[in-house]
Amino acid sequence: MKLRHLFGLVLLAAPFAVSGSAQPSVNNPGPSAPGEWTVYPGSYNSQRHSPLKQVTPANAHQLQVKWVYHVAGSRELEMTPVVKDGVMYIAQYNRVDAIDARTGNVIWRYQRPPASTAAYRGTSVYDNKVFIATTDAHLVALDARSGGVVWDVAVDGGRRLSGVPPMAVKGKIIVGVLDQPDGYIQAYDAKTGKHAWTWHAIPKIGEPESKTWSDGQKEGGGAIWMSGSFDPEQNVIIYGTGQPNPPYSNEVREGDNLYSDSIVAIDVDTGKLNWHFQTTPHDQHDWDATSGSQVLVDTMYEGKPRKLLLHADRNGFFYLLDRTNGKFLRGNSFIDDMNWASGLSPEGRPILIGDGAKPSVKGTLTCPSTAGATNWPSATYSPQTGWLYFHAVEGCGVNFRASSTPGAGTSYIESPEERHRWVSHIRAMDPLTGKRMWDLEEVRSNHYGPGLMSTASGLLFAPEHFGQVAMLDARTGKRLWHLNTGDFITASPITYMLDGKQYFAIASGTNIFAFGLPDSATAVGGKP
Amino acid sequence: MKATTIAFLLVSAMPALAQPQQAANPLNGNLQAVEQGKALYDQHCTACHGADAGAGERAPAIVLSGATSMRGQRSDAQIMAIIRVGIPGTAMPAWGSQLSSDDILKLGAYIHALRGTAIDAPLPGDPAHGEAVFWGKGQCATCHAISGRGSVVGPDLTNVAGVRKATAISDALTKVEHRVYGDGGVHLPMIPPTDYNPVHVVTKSGQAIDGLLRNQDAWSVQFIGMDGKLYSFDRSELSSLTIKPGSIMPTDYDKRLSPDEFKDLLAFLTRQGSKPAPSSGGEE
Repeated sequence: MKLRHLFGLVLLAAPFAVSGSAQPSVNNPGPSAPGEWTVYPGSYNSQRHSPLKQVTPANAHQLQVKWVYHVAGSRELEMTPVVKDGVMYIAQYNRVDAIDARTGNVIWRYQRPPASTAAYRGTSVYDNKVFIATTDAHLVALDARSGGVVWDVAVDGGRRLSGVPPMAVKGKIIVGVLDQPDGYIQAYDAKTGKHAWTWHAIPKIGEPESKTWSDGQKEGGGAIWMSGSFDPEQNVIIYGTGQPNPPYSNEVREGDNLYSDSIVAIDVDTGKLNWHFQTTPHDQHDWDATSGSQVLVDTMYEGKPRKLLLHADRNGFFYLLDRTNGKFLRGNSFIDDMNWASGLSPEGRPILIGDGAKPSVKGTLTCPSTAGATNWPSATYSPQTGWLYFHAVEGCGVNFRASSTPGAGTSYIESPEERHRWVSHIRAMDPLTGKRMWDLEEVRSNHYGPGLMSTASGLLFAPEHFGQVAMLDARTGKRLWHLNTGDFITASPITYMLDGKQYFAIASGTNIFAFGLPDSATAVGGKP
Repeated sequence: MKATTIAFLLVSAMPALAQPQQAANPLNGNLQAVEQGKALYDQHCTACHGADAGAGERAPAIVLSGATSMRGQRSDAQIMAIIRVGIPGTAMPAWGSQLSSDDILKLGAYIHALRGTAIDAPLPGDPAHGEAVFWGKGQCATCHAISGRGSVVGPDLTNVAGVRKATAISDALTKVEHRVYGDGGVHLPMIPPTDYNPVHVVTKSGQAIDGLLRNQDAWSVQFIGMDGKLYSFDRSELSSLTIKPGSIMPTDYDKRLSPDEFKDLLAFLTRQGSKPAPSSGGEE
């Protein structure tokens, strides 16, 4: 079987080599080979744009389910699978299922007790290994061929790793921890599991940034719960950090609270901070900067070739940054209804309206809601259209404090007013101008739900939270095909090529679905 | 499948739940303890489980009102055992090492109070007279049914007191905005919409049909016609589709009925249903 897959890949490689030079640049995506998806975002630039072209706007209506794999014992998967050498890896805490990416048949399963249904969002397959965190605070590397343990190390510092997908970069495995008490990013040697470095999102008392916390960062924050991108030229990983604590009662921690709610560029060799950009200083709404778009794009901007970072944030603003230094270039609100800030300063700092919709005992209308104008599921960038595509949620929340006591507990709900009801949209935006190119309102879906991806054939794969998977024309937003998977989708999609057939795959509920064209359309001599 | 998942969790992840404490929480129904339990809850639990335990950003609901109620799935004793020992393999900590046992009883009393529905404390009045109002002057059976009698157009009320709180039933009769809200930041079960919005369609052949919405997506719509039949259309089959926000439910029953009639109707409705048996600990 191994031989057959390799053979298939060799056959596939030829058309890519031929057409590669004619295609628009996807800015050195790495590390996945054409037709594979080996790290959480598929490519280090997080564009989630595949060069595969077998499925097109002309034939997408023929798509059908190729197989379904039920992940027994799981609960609403938030996980993006990875695919290498014909095998798909489904990662959770304490568990990996390796399945035949062509048929959905299970090849091996690793399960370390106890079974866990806590959210876990994916893995990397790298150097013949697959990597997962365990609930007893270990990091484990499994042999990708057998599921056997290659190494098993206790997490440095002893805290359990978050559900962040372990990211393989330059011989290292990048992971993170949540915010109680403080978030940090760690790197381990991919070959041995040896701890390489730790970068703390919350400074230690005495460090200059600790002055941005009036309380001496007593409760910390800055959870690392999503992976990001890697820029090989700057030699940095670019990740987002979570909110400061307590999340809503910001009066007990005056100051900007660095490096909460920040995009951080960290040298992958040393673990030192290269630059940072904070999206929501002194946050009081739990707007983590960990949304699914830390998208790296090289393109012309204001007449010059620029190395850019595109980021649509949970707080409702889109940010265009120079990723060589983190400098703010431009930004815009990407939602219709925003009541906490009127815009961004020339430095990219939100300009608050009044107290910025501070949570109150009687309840404060907050637009966007704490669930966010967008959230962690992936955005995608198409170099062909030059547009960023993402899920945007219109509507508002109401944020309550339990009491007026400083540091009081708080909560939020969807606003009960009909006009503030949450409605999910798929939105195409020109990141260089902020112009909305098209917008598609989803019916019933009111949640950030699934992520998106695009292809070089001009498709946008756009699942909906309420279970529909849909293929859209990336240029117009026109719906070309859809299928009801029957359960919530809160995961991001992938595509891969195997034996001359292109597949799309996504987790829906407790199942993995794979889609492709009918065999008759992909057979040798057939008309795709 | 749901039951399987829960059984799996209980058996494999929560050894403490295999033998739940059967003794009732002595603080259940103690208003002061419930109040103190709420304060504890708001301080320690809302960040993950949301307001009123209705689910939050990081953790599921402990109680959900209405049709999505978790009631019957876990007993009070099981809930309190989880609070004490946590859930291994998740972010749920063992509060037994951080809170006093008295505080945990107070938290349990608060959650017990939240989990109750109308059937636990039916409203006072004359239910027999209320029943007469339901079928008669109230004209409730124009849209609703109880035990197979009445109309299928609106929500069936056979078990309304088993899934709704008395305040929710009263609000439905008197307040325009009485939707039961979920928290969109979390994953509610895949349930049909509960808004029953009025639908008006005209088919391409010119047929006009009115009804109440059951479900829809970007490609299709399902509704019960005022004739009681189920309709399902591909949107491409329709020349027009209008779904109005809100409900056709009148919300002036406190005015269109006399005070006694209204009171007795509530007494009747808050007795329609049954108390679900609590989970016995995993064999389901």
